Amino acid sequence: MALESVHIRATCVEATEFMDLSRKFRVTGVPKTIVNESIEILGALPEESFVRGVLGLPEADSPPPSE
Amino acid sequence: MSLLSEQDRRVVREHLATIQQPVTLLLFTQTIGAPESALIARQVLDELASLNDLIRVEESNFILEKDRASQYGVDRIPAIVLLSGENDTRMRFLGAPAGYEFMSLIEAVILAGTNDSQLEPGSRALIAANVTTPLDIQVFVTPT
Repeated sequence: MALESVHIRATCVEATEFMDLSRKFRVTGVPKTIVNESIEILGALPEESFVRGVLGLPEADSPPPSE
Repeated sequence: MSLLSEQDRRVVREHLATIQQPVTLLLFTQTIGAPESALIARQVLDELASLNDLIRVEESNFILEKDRASQYGVDRIPAIVLLSGENDTRMRFLGAPAGYEFMSLIEAVILAGTNDSQLEPGSRALIAANVTTPLDIQVFVTPT
């Protein structure tokens, strides 16, 4: 995502090595994603869900059921 | 001493073959009192750089080069900043990139070296339409 926007910075943090950060963001399981120190995303999500989560957007509507 | 087996080196070398432009792995550490993880990070990066001529490692002293550290928003070590050519990719790694993080580092190097986020068109459009202010994404992971 960082490659797509000059506004985005993406950091992969080794949780056990930086316990101060892990405590600050209450990391009890991984992967855990923190956006602007406020939004929290738990676990590995499908790409679109993850992107929407990071951007603070609602999930896309589920596709209408097929006839 | 090599960290990877000869077979792993071959696999990683094949993955990295898609890179078209130089990637610099800029490691922020310190000379005196560096954590052991910084030494491991340096070993890992050197090994990665040995697998592709377009990858190089540069070390920056976190204590002596404070301006450079703040330029890249680095406030703790070891920190790795990925540059594509001279450009900051805004991708970072905090801590030694061992275990699963090593795989993530390889992927990040490929993204940087191809200048392609590999995101779906829909994701790219969402980012283009919605990101107008700084977004700081931190992904916490563990080596195992």
